[in-house]
Amino acid sequence: MGMLWWRSCVAKSMLSPASPKGGLKNFLLQRYRRWLNRRLPPARTIVLEQRRLFIFPTRQGFLFALTLLIMLLTAINYQNNLAYGLTFWVAMLFIVAVHFTHANLLKLEITGVRAESVYPGQHAEFCFRISCSRSRQGYRAVKLVWPGSEVLVDVPAGGEIDVSLHHKVTARGWFNPPRLRIESTYPLGLLRCWSFAYFDVRALVWPQPIRVERLAFSSAGKAGYDLSEQEGLDDLMGFRDYRIGDAPRLIDWRSHARGLPLQTKLYSSLVDEDNWLDWQDFPAGTVEQKLSWLCWLVLQHHGRGENFGLRLPELELPVAAGDRQRDRALRALALHDLNGESAG
Amino acid sequence: MISGEQLPRRSLLWLIVCQIAVMLPHLQRIPLWVVAVYLAAAIWRLQMFRQRAEMPGKWLRLLLGLLGAVLLFMSYGTFIGLEPMVALLLVAAALKLLEAIRERDGYLLVFLGFFICVTHFIFTQTLPATLYSLVCTGLLVTALIALNQSPGVGLSNHEPLLALKMLALAVPMMVVLFFLFPRIGPIWSVPSKSGQSITGMSDFLRPGAVTKLGRSAEIAFRAGFVGVIPENSALYWRGLVMSQFEQGAWRTLQWHEMPEVERKPIPPRVLAEPMRYRVVMEPTQQRWLYGMAYAESPTAGVYEATDYRLGVINPIEFQFGYEVTSWPKALMQPNLSDWRRHLETDFPEGLNPLSEAWVKDLREQHADDRNFIAALLSYFRAQPFYYTLEPPEILSADFVDKFMFESRRGFCEHYAYSFVAMLRMADIPARIVAGYQGGEVNPLNNTVVVRQFDAHAWAEVWLVGEGWTRVDPTAAVAPSRVEFGFEAAMDGQPGFLSDSLLSAYRFRGIRALDWVRLRYDALAFGWQSFIVGFDSTRQIELLKGWFGEIKVSWFVALLLGSWAAVLLPLMLWLNRQRSVSLMLPEEQRFSALCRRLEQRGCSRALGEAPLQTLRRARDHLPEADPLYLALEGAIADLYRR
Repeated sequence: MGMLWWRSCVAKSMLSPASPKGGLKNFLLQRYRRWLNRRLPPARTIVLEQRRLFIFPTRQGFLFALTLLIMLLTAINYQNNLAYGLTFWVAMLFIVAVHFTHANLLKLEITGVRAESVYPGQHAEFCFRISCSRSRQGYRAVKLVWPGSEVLVDVPAGGEIDVSLHHKVTARGWFNPPRLRIESTYPLGLLRCWSFAYFDVRALVWPQPIRVERLAFSSAGKAGYDLSEQEGLDDLMGFRDYRIGDAPRLIDWRSHARGLPLQTKLYSSLVDEDNWLDWQDFPAGTVEQKLSWLCWLVLQHHGRGENFGLRLPELELPVAAGDRQRDRALRALALHDLNGESAG
Repeated sequence: MISGEQLPRRSLLWLIVCQIAVMLPHLQRIPLWVVAVYLAAAIWRLQMFRQRAEMPGKWLRLLLGLLGAVLLFMSYGTFIGLEPMVALLLVAAALKLLEAIRERDGYLLVFLGFFICVTHFIFTQTLPATLYSLVCTGLLVTALIALNQSPGVGLSNHEPLLALKMLALAVPMMVVLFFLFPRIGPIWSVPSKSGQSITGMSDFLRPGAVTKLGRSAEIAFRAGFVGVIPENSALYWRGLVMSQFEQGAWRTLQWHEMPEVERKPIPPRVLAEPMRYRVVMEPTQQRWLYGMAYAESPTAGVYEATDYRLGVINPIEFQFGYEVTSWPKALMQPNLSDWRRHLETDFPEGLNPLSEAWVKDLREQHADDRNFIAALLSYFRAQPFYYTLEPPEILSADFVDKFMFESRRGFCEHYAYSFVAMLRMADIPARIVAGYQGGEVNPLNNTVVVRQFDAHAWAEVWLVGEGWTRVDPTAAVAPSRVEFGFEAAMDGQPGFLSDSLLSAYRFRGIRALDWVRLRYDALAFGWQSFIVGFDSTRQIELLKGWFGEIKVSWFVALLLGSWAAVLLPLMLWLNRQRSVSLMLPEEQRFSALCRRLEQRGCSRALGEAPLQTLRRARDHLPEADPLYLALEGAIADLYRR
């Protein structure tokens, strides 16, 4: 039990937010986090093995211990053997409960399935799949806890169940979910067994779209640019090889039927230079502002089903249309200028 | 975090069930209004559960609490004492049930329930009470599990089954702790049972005192013998020795009434082989024990009085077991001191003039004490004396005169009273002994079960060279009483067992019932003497018998052993992982065939399509034809799927 005590004490201190002051505390906290990360490394699928599980009495558990003490004193003072017997029985039930509570999380398998991309300020949804590989004993009342979001589930024996948790995101870029606490007090509520898990699942946070009038910032001096004057898709300019993501209606099906590889038709409007959303168009504004404006523009174009290309200092996205193009553009914007992150 | 959560609706039903269950055994000792409060709280709470009632407000709850306290005080007149405390616990539990909204309240109710279960044991430790407490414990654990189920899980037998399983797994460790936990004395004095009626013998004897016991078949005590059980006529269980006659009643001499030199018991001269037996007494609220003369007890807390009876310091409030060694042939007090001789021959003169004259007459004929006693007994035998449970009442002071020469109908105490009185008139030291005579032998476990109707009173006479000698005048009148027991002497008489109309004992003689009754009684005796009566003396005896010596390391090893004995199978069982196959049957068939291919040296490449595998195998292993046919079939099934 000694080991358990120690683990839990550290865990408690970890749960409270660290104050910026207190060098030693911070140092210890960091050491603890490093230790915890080593002990519980992030992964896509985590199986709660023996070494990942912690167990400690709950508040009810301590109240229970107090009840036992009173029962024992009664037994001693009345020298009553049956009172002794009942006290010991119920006390040993506590020991049995340690094993049952522990077993209610042991070998539980959690997979981080996916995360939704969102705008800052929204709640990103993370999907987890919890599965039970045991054939007889399922898991009951397992709680997944994040700050601000928790879910309680039962997993049947040999079955699996999908749950989602939400977490509020603030900044653009990749959002790594916090450590997930998986806990259970089942069956008696006298003990809490828990584990922490880092998942290799991250959510992409797009820049916050901010409305912008393109006119004001046009560097090309093409004042009077009017989106309504755009030409249709009628002027066929030529062909190129099919790339994944091209709209099916642009594919030259006729030539494909003759046995040629897939070709995509290019129309004049698709290469219109004015449909380029260019970083250079915004001489003013901070980086984040620019990204927000571009984001808004991407959404505008996509909303109208138009083609567009994106030019950022470090990359250029060729002109295209569709959901895939929007996602690529938003991803590029989201990851712009973030260290160590490829725009993919 | 948890404490703020709502009480799961389903667990409420279990909570109500176990609250009522723990209250029921206390019914006989709590005022009826407590039961009413309980039921009202349960009904109110159920209505809240069905959303037909509101939770009582804070002030109303406070008022109810105060009202409960006032009613308790009015019922008991005090809060100190066991019964008021139990009633207080029950009222508190009922009121808590009413306001049980949060999960935390549920836990509190369950823990309170455990404690109420324990208080029940203070009042009774019989086998049925224990079995009932097992049920209560099971219900309480079930409620605890129900509290922890995730919401939305319906009522099922899962909770009670799991509770049983967990409790069963706790038993081995509980048994080890039970036998090894040191039995220390009380740490502080605790309120005792109040208002418990004194049962069995009373501490004084006046005509009619024993008679009332003849109507009850309740068990007074059981005695388990190590060797052969003596004849029924030798089973004289001495309880009280009454040497003092005062205001028409006989009583025991108090310790402080004796001169200092007389306070120490004189050890008798013991002869022949002793009998060994263990007595388990039902609570009497009295301070004396029963044993056959001359009795000695090694049990802690049992003392021996100068008149060779056994006693305890504190009244017997609970079942009490003690070991006895008896020497039936012992010489008790071969020499009588002057003070004692005076005490044992003292009887007020002039109360019974007729008898005095008659005794004087008889004494002149028989100067020898033995002859005088024989003559007196033969008088009882010769004259029309009757042994009856319903003798005429004699209230006047000249009891001996009225009994000897007028009514001549009486119960044992009438005979003992008159006999001793007349011996004292003749200046022969004599005293009354009250106790039980006989008992039912249970051959299954070599015990004698003594019931209240076996209550008896007889005389002890001091004779030169023999010391105190038992003389039973009743035997002269009704020999069958002593030969075959009270039952045989009384059967068919009005009044017999009239207080025990529903006792199983009334139906004795029916063979099947006797079979059950004797077996149950043997079990109850084993329970009483081995479990309920387990004390430090027996503990040390037992542990020495097992381990030779008592060591802490043994204790720890045993406890860990019992833990491991439970834990290891438990963990294996809980984690039994029959790997659950996620493959379709067709896939399983295909992969089985692939394994056979592999045995022949052609393994399936990672990510290879099934048809590709087949093609490659055909190139490499042209000879394995029948396998390919099977594979083709399997692949076709797979694709069809």
